[in-house]
Amino acid sequence: MRPMIDRLARAVITVGGLATIVSILGIFFFLFRDVTPLFTAPSAKLTQRLSVPAALAAEGPAQVAVDEHREIAQVLTSGAIQFIDLASAQPVPIEMPSGFTARSITAMAHGGGRTSRYAVGTADGEVLILKVGTLTDFSDQGERRKRPHIHAGYPIPLTKSPIVRLAFRANDQGSLLALVSEGGRLLVVRLAADDVEGDNPLITELPQPNGAVTALALDASFENLYVGTTEGQVVHVGLYETEPPEVRSSYTVAAPSTAVTRLGFLSGDRSLVVMTADGAVSTWGLVRRTDTPSGWRLTHMHTFRSHPAPVTAFAPSQRVKGFVTGDAKGNLFLHHATSSQTLLRLTSGEFPVRTVAFAPKGDGLISLDEAGHLALYQVDNAYPEVTFATLFGKVWYEGYDEPAYVWQSSSGSDDFEPKLGLMPLAFGTLKGTMYALLLAVPVAILAAMCTSQFMHPDLRAKIKPIIEVMAALPTVVLGFLAGLWLAPLLERYLPAMAGMALTLPLLVIASSLVWYLLPPTFRRRLRPGQEALLLIPLLAMGMGICLWANSFLEAWWFGGDIHAWLSNRLGIQYDQRNALVVGLVMGFAIVPVIYSIAEEALANVPKTQIAGSLALGATRWQTVLHLVLLSASPGIFSAVMIGFGRAIGETMIVLMATGNTPLMDWNWANGFRTLSANIAVEIPEAPHGESLYRVLFLAALLLFFVTFVINSLAEIVRQRLREKYSHG
Amino acid sequence: MGKRADSMKDFWLSGELFVWMTASGVAVSLLMVGAMLALIMVNGLGQFWPATLHQIVLKTQETLIGQLVGQEVIPNSVTLDRPDGLNRFRYRVGNRDVFGSEYRWVNGDDIISTSRPEDLTFVERREWGPAFGRLGIVGKDGKPEASDGQTWSAIGALVQESAALRHRIEHVERDEIGAINYRLEKVRRERRALMLDGRLSSREADVDRRLVDQIATLERDYRAKTVTLEQLHQEAGQKSLLLTLANGPTLRLTLDQVVAVSRPNDMTWSDKSVAYLHNLWLFVSSEPREANTEGGIFPAIFGTVLMVFLMTIAVMPFGVMAAVYLREYARQGVLVRLVRIAVNNLAGVPSIVFGVFGLAFFVYALGGTIDQLLFPESLPNPTFGTGGILWASLTLALLTVPVVIVATEEGLSAVPRDFREGSVGLGATKFETIWHVILPCALPGILTGLILAMARAAGEVAPLMLTGVVKLAPALPLDGYEPFLHLDRKFMHLGFHIYDVGFQSPNVEAAKPMVYMTTLILILMVVLLNWTAVMLRNRLRKRFAMSPV
Repeated sequence: MRPMIDRLARAVITVGGLATIVSILGIFFFLFRDVTPLFTAPSAKLTQRLSVPAALAAEGPAQVAVDEHREIAQVLTSGAIQFIDLASAQPVPIEMPSGFTARSITAMAHGGGRTSRYAVGTADGEVLILKVGTLTDFSDQGERRKRPHIHAGYPIPLTKSPIVRLAFRANDQGSLLALVSEGGRLLVVRLAADDVEGDNPLITELPQPNGAVTALALDASFENLYVGTTEGQVVHVGLYETEPPEVRSSYTVAAPSTAVTRLGFLSGDRSLVVMTADGAVSTWGLVRRTDTPSGWRLTHMHTFRSHPAPVTAFAPSQRVKGFVTGDAKGNLFLHHATSSQTLLRLTSGEFPVRTVAFAPKGDGLISLDEAGHLALYQVDNAYPEVTFATLFGKVWYEGYDEPAYVWQSSSGSDDFEPKLGLMPLAFGTLKGTMYALLLAVPVAILAAMCTSQFMHPDLRAKIKPIIEVMAALPTVVLGFLAGLWLAPLLERYLPAMAGMALTLPLLVIASSLVWYLLPPTFRRRLRPGQEALLLIPLLAMGMGICLWANSFLEAWWFGGDIHAWLSNRLGIQYDQRNALVVGLVMGFAIVPVIYSIAEEALANVPKTQIAGSLALGATRWQTVLHLVLLSASPGIFSAVMIGFGRAIGETMIVLMATGNTPLMDWNWANGFRTLSANIAVEIPEAPHGESLYRVLFLAALLLFFVTFVINSLAEIVRQRLREKYSHG
Repeated sequence: MGKRADSMKDFWLSGELFVWMTASGVAVSLLMVGAMLALIMVNGLGQFWPATLHQIVLKTQETLIGQLVGQEVIPNSVTLDRPDGLNRFRYRVGNRDVFGSEYRWVNGDDIISTSRPEDLTFVERREWGPAFGRLGIVGKDGKPEASDGQTWSAIGALVQESAALRHRIEHVERDEIGAINYRLEKVRRERRALMLDGRLSSREADVDRRLVDQIATLERDYRAKTVTLEQLHQEAGQKSLLLTLANGPTLRLTLDQVVAVSRPNDMTWSDKSVAYLHNLWLFVSSEPREANTEGGIFPAIFGTVLMVFLMTIAVMPFGVMAAVYLREYARQGVLVRLVRIAVNNLAGVPSIVFGVFGLAFFVYALGGTIDQLLFPESLPNPTFGTGGILWASLTLALLTVPVVIVATEEGLSAVPRDFREGSVGLGATKFETIWHVILPCALPGILTGLILAMARAAGEVAPLMLTGVVKLAPALPLDGYEPFLHLDRKFMHLGFHIYDVGFQSPNVEAAKPMVYMTTLILILMVVLLNWTAVMLRNRLRKRFAMSPV
């Protein structure tokens, strides 16, 4: 019986103990598991390939789309508009608008973004605006039903000759069209939203650029038109509601006489994608430049992998800054602008791609080739904007003048480009840690030297626990004091602070000198280490005097207003919650951590060595400085490391005492945002499983890894030191 | 000259400067601790003392009534003819609903006179913060009930009456209607569970009919209670007081808005002491009001204690088991040493990382699964798939388990070898030795670890923010409704309360003193726990230092 209980107990304790240890060490792997999807390669697979009915195979312009559940595909060609039920691969019967079937379609354009509007141009120089899409509704039983619909507007006559190219944008105010007719005339047409019949189009003719126009792109702000030519140039035309259009500049975007084959915008209509006959794909954006008359310049931002043949098709993702391009050899390339990457290459057959589109959720692609094959792909590409380069490198974001390190995870707008650069946060973490160590290291090590070497053991036994109990103070308390007490106080008493930095060390020197000059009988009354107690009222008095003299100091040193002085003389804008406040308070928080370990290291230096040094005639402080400090230096080093590790992960103090602005600036007078505070601020709002959520996990993993490595190093150094002394 | 240089050299060589410099490190540390504690105590404890109400007449002929809360020299007011500068005073003038702000700066230059009339009255209200003024006629249905002279003597009874009424309203609201709501929710959930698979068998249909009846009965009860509540509210609203504010206008306060009425200028020192203790008690025992900026912090104290308690239950068996395994059963070698270092270092991993882990593992992974298996009728509303006190406690248990392991191991290793050998020599098995000899000896070490873990857990906030703490919890996690301990509920916590009130509340200035007091309570909790741990550890060391080895 007893041996059995013993064996049982052994089993239970072994299993329980191991389980506990494994589960706490498993934290790392669990975090790791949640981060890895970020870096898995995107994939796509062809789910369906079918030949479209003959009516759709006609030559000419074409547009495709698929609904959000990828159940109904729609194909628009010059011959017909057709919905195809993808489950059965059968056309969905629908009535065609008479205006469409009666005309010969020569050009086609989509209205951009999530709209279901299209514009088609005819051989008679008319434009027809269509709404083609699939509505989803639910039956009483909760069943999902799809209802395809087509609405056509009135034909609007615009020119005499056939329209060969068209660009189209629509919003609540109206529609904007840019078109090229067969003779090469370039027209811009504005239609008001309430002009249902298209009676009053506002038509402006633009001068013809060098070479024939091969591509057009309009942005949703109705302010910019880009015209691509056979000469490899893009002409930027400024459009105004009241004034005539103005040709701003023309840019060379490809080798001479390499035609621009397609122009298009990424979602949000800020980045222009330029595609050429030699297969090159690049994005361009308007950047503020002083050397151009308009103050703006179309600037090359990202280059993507080139196609082996002329680019023939383009579609932007409707959600993110990704896009797809297709070429004359049947290749489809999937790119992402933020990461400047070509994520995927898909090849289906050898026929040129006529047109391509993303599924609304970005999880599918549909393409149509010249041979009339409709191909559907399922795309698994959940985290296209996150790569090592976008996390840790400079990235050229839309609307920025140059590549930069930026953290800005969300904004009110739908077309927002998430900026998930961890560098500003890593920088903030280091900044806060450095300022904290700047205060904590000297104070803690001096205090450790004092209590371990110069203090009477009785006094040491009282003082040591007081300093060490500081380590247990909840950091939320320190953060509260930092943010609501110290920060406003420091803002007002900055001159006094400067005064203290100057006078307190002098005070210490002066008091030691005075003490030295006192008669020895008097000096002997003090037990070793009581200098510290004597200094407390002295320092408090010094601080009090500095505070009292604050306005005097401000008038004397800083011309009466220190904040004006700082901004005029040093160019420093003082934020109330800044690095100095954090340095002081976080320093306070890690003093006991460093002190406790450094004290132990100093106190463990063998007494025999000290006695030897003293016997050889060294004074007490020479012994401390040259022997004790040197012997204990690995221990002190590990103390600083552990303090460093503690400061890196500290959350509440920085959360409450900085403005949490992700700046990259070593300046003591402004705030910053650390990795830890960032997690605390953003994770409650981050949708489970999406990019931001996983990037925050990555930040947590980084913190885990860094602190673990630092602590392990410190621990190994300490253990070595301990062994060294225990062996003599 | 030479002599002086010599003496400077002597001074340098004596090392006195060096010693004093190191002493300054200690002095600065102690000064910081002392200053911080003093600051928190003064700001925290001072607020419960009934403060004197001043009546200030300004040059603009305006009169103010308020408590003096601060004064300072006006920045840039120091000039040659005014070397001391100009002072300005900060008064808490109350009546936030009338004045817009509770505080006001008054330049010293603008004040004609300051006095402290005894009839100035402090009215603590349920909403809008305190009101200061002179008590006017107390009316019932608008009719005067007491003449001027009797107002004050009548008011005490009235306030008490209103308090009793308030108590009854709360009883109806919370206990009676709460119970009905709770049962209603439960019956509805049962019904949803019944419907879950779509079809009802005939037996299930019977059950369903019975549930529908129950719902109808409960809803009837509920309506009856709301009528009672309505009546009580009406009764409470019948009586009112008139408060004449400093600058003339009168404020009509129905009695159910009034929490307490006092005349601090008329109170003796002993009156004030009693009031002080009473206020302090109210603070720790009552519920918060006005987005946590007034009232008490009882739910936060309760939440903190319960969370720490749950964490202790979780952390103790596992921490001790892991330590016993590492020290007594595992073969001591490089691997165990590495594990020991790793466990030790986990104590240094930032708490926010544990919070992130808790969110992903406990809340989403574990909680989500539990919801799907056990509470499908409540979906898509999460039961355990969202933050709650259980997940918060477990997260903190994970955070503190290294502390317990390290301390227990230390305790185990301090048990002298002779004890083991003696026990085994007498024929005990290994487990009997551990159970009857080693663990009892190591108990102080284990307790030290546990208490340190509790102290750490009580002060942590960052991981809780991700795993279930809220600024205002509608109900305590422990109450009279089955299953009594609601592990899925969100809870309030002292540390988060500090963060929230100090940084997220609309009225930070008025709430500041409360935050100081909350801070003080939290510090007391943590420091007391730590001190107990230190004492235990010292006892442990002494005990084995004396035993013959």
